[in-house]
Amino acid sequence: MKERLSGFLQSVLNTLRGRRSSPLPFERLFELFRQVLEGNNKAIELITDMGDTLGGDYLFDITYIRRVYAELSEAIRGSLVNFEALTLQRYSGLSEAFRLIDGQIGRMINDAGPSVAEPVIFYEDITWDMTSAVGGKNAHLAELKNNLKLSVPEAFVITMRAFEELIQQNDLAGRIEHIGKEDQCQDSESGELYERIMNAELPTDVDDAIGRAIERIKKRCGEHCFLSVRSSAEEEDGDYSFAGQFETVLNVPLERTAVTNAYKKVVASLFSPRSIAYQQQVGMAPGRLKMAVGCMVMVDSLSSGVVYTSPPSDDRNELLVTAAWGLGTAIVDGSVNADLFVIDKAEGLEIREEKIGTKESMFVALEEGGIVQTKTPEGMRTQPSLMPSQLRELAALSMQIELYYKKPQDVEWAVDKSRKMFILQARPLRMQNKIKVNPAFSDAMLHDKNILMRDRGTAVQRGIGTGRVFVLRHMDELSRFPKGAILVSKYDSSNFIRIMPYVSAILTDTGTPASHMASLCREFRVPTAVNTKDATAVLRHGQEVTVAIDDDGRITVYDGIIHTMPGAGYQNPAQMEDIYEYRKKRYILKHIVPLNLIDPLRDNFTVAGCKTLHDLLRFMHEKSVMELVEKAQYGGKMVARHAAVRLNLPIPAGIILIDIGGGLASSTAAHSISFDQVASEPLREIIQGMLYPGIWRSDAVALKANDFMSSIMRMPDIMTDNSALVGYNIAIVSREYVNLGIRFGYHFSTIDCYCSDTDRNNHIYFRFAGGATDITKRSRRIQLIAEILKAYGFSINTKGDIIICRISNIGKGTIMDILNQLGRLLSYTRQMDAMLHDDGAVRRYADKFLAADYAL
Amino acid sequence: MSNKHTIMIIDDEKIVGDMAKLSLEQEGYEVETFLNAESALSRLKDRPFDLIVTDYKMKGIDGMELLKIVRQSYPTIKVIMITAFANLDTAIEALRGDVHDFFPKPVKIKELKASIRRALNEQ
Repeated sequence: MKERLSGFLQSVLNTLRGRRSSPLPFERLFELFRQVLEGNNKAIELITDMGDTLGGDYLFDITYIRRVYAELSEAIRGSLVNFEALTLQRYSGLSEAFRLIDGQIGRMINDAGPSVAEPVIFYEDITWDMTSAVGGKNAHLAELKNNLKLSVPEAFVITMRAFEELIQQNDLAGRIEHIGKEDQCQDSESGELYERIMNAELPTDVDDAIGRAIERIKKRCGEHCFLSVRSSAEEEDGDYSFAGQFETVLNVPLERTAVTNAYKKVVASLFSPRSIAYQQQVGMAPGRLKMAVGCMVMVDSLSSGVVYTSPPSDDRNELLVTAAWGLGTAIVDGSVNADLFVIDKAEGLEIREEKIGTKESMFVALEEGGIVQTKTPEGMRTQPSLMPSQLRELAALSMQIELYYKKPQDVEWAVDKSRKMFILQARPLRMQNKIKVNPAFSDAMLHDKNILMRDRGTAVQRGIGTGRVFVLRHMDELSRFPKGAILVSKYDSSNFIRIMPYVSAILTDTGTPASHMASLCREFRVPTAVNTKDATAVLRHGQEVTVAIDDDGRITVYDGIIHTMPGAGYQNPAQMEDIYEYRKKRYILKHIVPLNLIDPLRDNFTVAGCKTLHDLLRFMHEKSVMELVEKAQYGGKMVARHAAVRLNLPIPAGIILIDIGGGLASSTAAHSISFDQVASEPLREIIQGMLYPGIWRSDAVALKANDFMSSIMRMPDIMTDNSALVGYNIAIVSREYVNLGIRFGYHFSTIDCYCSDTDRNNHIYFRFAGGATDITKRSRRIQLIAEILKAYGFSINTKGDIIICRISNIGKGTIMDILNQLGRLLSYTRQMDAMLHDDGAVRRYADKFLAADYAL
Repeated sequence: MSNKHTIMIIDDEKIVGDMAKLSLEQEGYEVETFLNAESALSRLKDRPFDLIVTDYKMKGIDGMELLKIVRQSYPTIKVIMITAFANLDTAIEALRGDVHDFFPKPVKIKELKASIRRALNEQ
């Protein structure tokens, strides 16, 4: 009974620790391990090749991507088969992760449709692989809601699938294809398409799904809430701004007809003349873009605005907040003189600068639906629309988002009347490249030039533009805008997209650097300044001027065209990233190259953390190593099955060798061998370290009385409690591999190392546990080891008296140096814990060890 | 710059033309791109070009046919052929057809530029 109970406990413990004896012989496991590495290597080489080829230095086509991806996918599939055999399908989710990523990439390569079949999906059900189904903007927001748990309002998405059905059922595909084929789409054609969508019949399943979603929102938020209905096109908010190109319908009542009408309005805006112009200008064939639409519960906003986590001035330590009363429409339209706050990211989120705007008007939601612009109540106009505490809260949230996406962000936010902060949108912020304008150009060289305007307004895009002033009085005049002129306007507007390729510079009286127009100016690199107060009054229509906005954001307008202006006519040169087709193809790499699983000792190192093929490869490598480490613990059982030989050394290390291929000199048939007959390179190096002159102390270090008590009170670790093993230390070896489990008294160390000529295959795993002294001293020894191994670049995890250290992807020479040091460390720390009487001793002995002074 | 050399890029994949155009314009060339040989040939009737970079395999008139037509009607235009289907036979066939150079895709842009410079300096 007692035996059965202990057997049961042992099996429970083994299950809990994930240790299972493998039915496969270790040689076979090792062979599988090597095959995983081989497949991974091939995959990494292909990934590198793809990264290089798609890096902008090569002309490539989809045939190339198809060919290389087929090879890559095949290599990973092969690795997966071997990995599953090695790990006994322990990580069964990994095949599914691969299937998802592979499916995503396959769809991108084949330009196929979205993966989600439902016409409507709620944010909480959106996962990372659904971008093509819900659009970039929705995918980002859902990620912030689901992963970062940020306060994003309730929302559902009418998916790309619904869009496809709408187009199909109304026979619009032909019309759309037609406009895509023409070099210049006529306004009348896109106008007709717009009308046809507005009058289109929604497919029944889409209509019903929207109805159900509305009911669900009513249950959650009440009958009287409203929706904002916004576009989320395929690439939108990914690498392209599309700022303000599509319709947004705000404050839509929770009624099916109202929502479906708003939906159609947003979808139809894909074909508005403005949007078609934008698509053509960025090199997309119009008609190829699809659109998902997000329906989000409206925040009853007290104030709202935009945060740039890095301002256009490019000071990465600053964060720029634009804020105004009411809805955010005024800010993104640029139609209000908003509050501007500059926050210091480094210095405890201090407010570095504030400019309180005049905020004459504001947008508010109407009770019956829709929004209206009204005059801001007098008392509120010059009041800051955000309190310092709210600013800091907002700054912290925005930085969290920036950290998550690892890129500067453009964040839309709103504060409701109960002062709760909501995130409404987050997208990557387009940053400016530094332009090479001589900072001294404005003064020394131009002292005789007449300055018309200086240091007024906010810089949006740096650069220099020359030409005749075109003062815009009415939007209709845009069609008469002459190529190469300088646009001067009272307001800013995303309608300016139509002249972006021809305009030399833009100056506006009002507006904020956070408006849609500002985004477009950065995208098209048009030198632009907003909020200049009176450019329309100062500059005359037809007057020749030179606009210079330097790297520090200084804005100067000179009278006349200065031909000698350094950098004149110079905007940032076009780059490969500006080519839509290029970016779209390169987008595939996003599912292949980035590495999210960085440290195997951290929490996200899981199957669920695998978002790219690179992650999969990294995961397989690490877990394969762990599998070997774990299976090698059954070395004791292997002694019976394999020819095991004793290694004779001048120190009593008691090492038994099990050779799984090339670990011993071929002539060996004896029961014991000398060091010379060891062919395993990593083991030779460890032993040489252990034998380093003067490092192995044969005299026992005196235990203090309480240490002695500890040593007899402590139960030996179950892991090492195998009576067959007592007295032996087992090393499983091949020429390139060693797994050495060494038990000295009460502590147990494992070194597992694969060391080949291919750097990225190589790893060292080191684990050390236990000891004879009390926990304080044992912990000090762990700290000592951590201090020493940190110096060698190990990634380290400690818990109580256990330390696990990992290092990988390093050259053979370095591996050998480290193994030698580990050998020394094994000898050095054998009785070290008894010496560590105080915390200071840890640093002292670590320094001594690193200086090769081994005297205790 | 009125003495800019003019280059025509023909490839049925938009990305190739777009990338080549951007890279070559930065070198000061005047570049036009075409998705098929038919539209390129019709453009040749309107204005002269100094050099053509064309894909080998295309729907309709393919690279070799185009080469023959260009050799007959516009003998001074240099032709550089690029192809996704690189084998010795296609290379030999193209070179016999008197192409200036032949590249398998992916093509290193730097090498293409060098080849274009060589081709145009010969003129």
